Amino acid sequence: MEIYLDNAATTQPATAVLLAMSECSRRCYGNPASWHRLGVEAAKVVERSRQTLAEALGAEPDEIVFTSGGTESNNLAVKGTAWAAGRRGKHIVISAVEHPSVTAAALSLEKLGVRVSLVGVDSEGLVDPAAVARVLTSATILVSVMHANHEIGALEPVQEIGRLCRGRGILFHCDACQSFTKEPLDVAKVPVDLLSVNAHKLHGPKGIGALYVRKGTALAPLFDGGGQEGGRRSGTLNTPAIAGFAAAIEAVDLRAASVMRRLRDRLWDSLRRAVPGIRLNGPRKARLCNNLNVMLPETESKPLLRKLSAAGIYASAGAACSSAKPEPSPVLLAIGLSPQETVRSLRLSLSRWTTQAQVDAAARAIVRLAGGS
Amino acid sequence: MSRPAETLDLTGVPCPANAARALLVIEGLPAGAFLRISLDDGEPIQNVPPALEEQGHVVVDKVRIGTGWQVLVKKGEEA
Ligand SMILES: Cc1ncc(COP(=O)(O)O)c(C=O)c1O
Repeated sequence: MEIYLDNAATTQPATAVLLAMSECSRRCYGNPASWHRLGVEAAKVVERSRQTLAEALGAEPDEIVFTSGGTESNNLAVKGTAWAAGRRGKHIVISAVEHPSVTAAALSLEKLGVRVSLVGVDSEGLVDPAAVARVLTSATILVSVMHANHEIGALEPVQEIGRLCRGRGILFHCDACQSFTKEPLDVAKVPVDLLSVNAHKLHGPKGIGALYVRKGTALAPLFDGGGQEGGRRSGTLNTPAIAGFAAAIEAVDLRAASVMRRLRDRLWDSLRRAVPGIRLNGPRKARLCNNLNVMLPETESKPLLRKLSAAGIYASAGAACSSAKPEPSPVLLAIGLSPQETVRSLRLSLSRWTTQAQVDAAARAIVRLAGGS
Repeated sequence: MSRPAETLDLTGVPCPANAARALLVIEGLPAGAFLRISLDDGEPIQNVPPALEEQGHVVVDKVRIGTGWQVLVKKGEEA
């Protein structure tokens, strides 16, 4: 039995997604910017998908910009707003647990004279909106705090943070790549100006994402070129991936979140009972439904992951993109773990296809290999 | 006309997304139904009506309103 518990890194594409993509590649191969019939057919695919995405977010179709994924959406949001603000853009606020595509994008602006404030988190990984409020100044142009953390699943208080930004005329960006379609987030209700999503966390294709840009938000493009996406994102649109993104959204089952939550809790209960001294990293309550992150009492996670992999069980130590880097996870450090503790941490992330038999088998294997009872 | 035409505001929507959106709405209408579309001057008014006609719909009327256009389209029988 193969047990895939690395769904926070990426998910297996749904059959409906693969069908939509191959159908689109075969039949709608025209450039969606061309005026002939094939171009217009491709543009129809794009616009239908844009509507699907807009509806899922509570946005208007014109507020959706397709990108190559979460990394680009985050870069576009952070750099695009700072560049558009020009000399007015002197200060940006981000949390200490953002995805590197937000953190590094923000820090890259320091050489342009932008000051970046990192707001810390509590021991569960949660940002205190009051701490955000304290660092805001008249020079602040943007606050970026994610919806759900990629490593520990912390659900940040984006409603409150958005509200205090709105009250001060500061733009609020939210990276919702992990939570999109798992946790409700309606831009008509949450005061967010920019919101990043991608497809490959919800059984869609890799290399496609979108940035929601609230009407009237000034945004400079990352790329110069043909001026697609209303000038906000040049480059020929990836029509098949866009079709796959919409198919992934349409295939979402809203009841799946509660099933994932129940199985995740069951996995944690099994591990907690059998491994004395195991600890939960991240929040107990305000937590994304499919995320579990634990700190083992003695075992280092890297060798354990290799053994699990040999047994057909796939998980990870933390964020997928930091796997190649030996540095300890900044997220785990931010919640107060020592570097030694970070290397004993294990992230287990479920999908709507994860079964009870799978979580039970995974728990047994982890207990056996990590030397529990 | 038994019922008022549906309306669709495509001002500010770039080409050919405007044509694509018009076609998506028309496809959801019964044959013979009317759609009133607002379009920008320039490329949109030059390109969108022919793109709709190419797919079998009938452009019944084009009127200049302010800086833009209003186009009345009838859904084709076979489209
Ligand atoms: C929270 C978060 N933001 C951004 C990204 C980057 O998205 P992408 O892989 O589509 O570039 C990821 C995961 O990959 C993520 O988990």
